[in-house]
Amino acid sequence: MPDTGDILRLENLEVHFPIQGGLFDRVLGRPAGVVRAVDGIDLTIGHGEIVALVGESGSGKTTVGRVITKLAQPTAGRLLFEGADMTSVRGLSALRPYRHHVQMIFQDAYQALNSRHTVFDIVAEPLRSLRLVENDAQLTERVSEALAAAGLNPPGDFFARFPHELSGGQRQRVVIAGALAVRPELIVADEPVSMLDVSIRAQILQVLVDLRDKHNMALLFITHDLPLAWLIADRIAVLYLGKLVEIGSADEITFNPRHPYTVALRDATPQIHTDADRSKLPALQGEVPSAARVPKGCRFHPRCPLAFDRCRQDEPPAIEVGPQHLSACWLAN
Amino acid sequence: MSESSVPYSTHRRVQAFKGFLRQFLGHGGAQLGFVCLVCFLVLAAVPNILVGPLQTAVNATGDFLVPPSGQHLLGTDEVGRDVLNLVVHGARISLTIALLATVISLIVGATVGMTAGYFGHWADVWLMRLTDFFFVVPSFVLALVITPVVLEVMGRGRDILGFRPSIFVIIVVIGLTSWAFVARIVRSQTLSLKERTFVDRARVAGTSNLSIMLKHILPNLVPQIAANGALVVAGAIYVETSLSFLGLGDPLQPSWGTLLALAQRAGAASAGAWWYLGAPGICVLMVSLSFVLIGNALDDTFNPRRRVIP
Ligand SMILES: Nc1ncnc2c1ncn2[C@@H]1O[C@H](COP(=O)(O)OP(=O)(O)OP(=O)(O)O)[C@@H](O)[C@H]1O
Ligand SMILES: [Mg+2]
Repeated sequence: MPDTGDILRLENLEVHFPIQGGLFDRVLGRPAGVVRAVDGIDLTIGHGEIVALVGESGSGKTTVGRVITKLAQPTAGRLLFEGADMTSVRGLSALRPYRHHVQMIFQDAYQALNSRHTVFDIVAEPLRSLRLVENDAQLTERVSEALAAAGLNPPGDFFARFPHELSGGQRQRVVIAGALAVRPELIVADEPVSMLDVSIRAQILQVLVDLRDKHNMALLFITHDLPLAWLIADRIAVLYLGKLVEIGSADEITFNPRHPYTVALRDATPQIHTDADRSKLPALQGEVPSAARVPKGCRFHPRCPLAFDRCRQDEPPAIEVGPQHLSACWLAN
Repeated sequence: MSESSVPYSTHRRVQAFKGFLRQFLGHGGAQLGFVCLVCFLVLAAVPNILVGPLQTAVNATGDFLVPPSGQHLLGTDEVGRDVLNLVVHGARISLTIALLATVISLIVGATVGMTAGYFGHWADVWLMRLTDFFFVVPSFVLALVITPVVLEVMGRGRDILGFRPSIFVIIVVIGLTSWAFVARIVRSQTLSLKERTFVDRARVAGTSNLSIMLKHILPNLVPQIAANGALVVAGAIYVETSLSFLGLGDPLQPSWGTLLALAQRAGAASAGAWWYLGAPGICVLMVSLSFVLIGNALDDTFNPRRRVIP
């Protein structure tokens, strides 16, 4: 894979949301606690690299994406883009260059499109707002190009349509076209295919892979689906309750997982394992705890079939278990 | 810019508008309100053609307080003016006041409500405090305060577009006392709109706050503003009537409220001159009812979820 240094680096990134307490708590000045949506993660994305962020619902995937796209402010840690610290950069004009390079594909394509705007206006919006075109002719050309790249052909047929006149797959393509119209270097794709038919999924994934192959664009692919992550990504990072529990190459994570949580995720997906390589571990028990009450010690221990005393006391650090393969488990070494 | 690069867009918008109109006019209430309103608008547009110039004590055509007859369809007042003539001319004044006041109210209310809801924090706190103040301040008190100010600014006795300054006092007073209602509705709607994903998308696209408000939030507020705007007009008609009834009207350009005040002072009620009180009264009722019906129909059309299943 083409890799010439990191395009994006997250250092000990933390996003805690304060919980609005009841009136009683507020009068007494009691802090009502925090939701630890993202709780200290380190992650790098290389130029032209596809990294998948995998985790169950509520694990903090979207929140990571929102920090990267500057929609949410981290409570601690740093966000570095091409080596420059973007953590505290604010304001429209200061962020303009960053927005030019980093775009997002949203989880729900239906919600992400303003129903009162035409497809043309939707795709043209970043080009206009970021002042990337000089005249109408150029604008039309860039919009056509983006729609075509997203697989909406011929582009002219879609210019005047409203979102409700499109199918779900077409809507998601419009969202993608809007993100790639500015020719970004990194796209955060938040579950871009989870709402789509299986038949359309492959086409949309192909669009994203093509972007990397043709324009060396990096992609953070957020999903809850491990096989899907393996299919598209170079590397996979597994997120559990706001913390990365394992990170490594897609093949390593999928076929040689070292963290019990990743093993459980793999076992839960019939597509990957054959009975022979299936682990002997029992299936996952219970629910993901709330991010407002993160368990002490290893946050996975209440559900872990292998947990022992140390797991209940101390939080395991990320330990290198292979080349470029880290696992945060006391059993890993 | 967008229109020129999107050749088919106007055509589609026209189609969408036609569909909307068909649905809107499918409401029985809307039809009634619409027809009624168009009649009054015609009266207001060409009063001179319909009933001749406004009658005064000098060019009055009838006897004092004559009941309705073939010659005076709605009778006459205490100085012999034709009540039909007065009511038709009053339509022009009343509707102008109500519509202009509504424009002020909607502009101020939408601006304040959208700013408060979108920016939140202290902008919200202070703007909503201001809104609460205007929500409770009685319009008559406000009128007493701002009348001298407006008259000073505009210059006494000078007509503007054929309307006298005291008319503008009423317009400003109604505008200033009715926007708070609009601001509250717009604010709450903005609070939910700004959490929508398309606003996040606009932010990532580098769109400024002002553009987000104008291009993303405002178009989604139009249904609410239109539906409530109709209700504001209805309210404005009432407030105008009561302000004029309390003596704030201009006797040289009588609105329906002014006519009611004159009738009251002439002792129309005790003299049994029901036509003198009834004609402007029924006009006020019909026009504000039309706007309420139209407002409700707009609300139904824009909000299919709230429509009751018959
Ligand atoms: N603005 C917010 N205020 C408070 N809590 C929040 C906020 N946004 C997210 N959270 C909480 O942070 C946690 C992580 O949420 P997030 O949306 O990032 O999860 P996710 O992994 O994207 O889940 P899903 O797969 O369902 O989209 C959840 O517990 C959520 O309730
Ligand atoms: Mg999510």
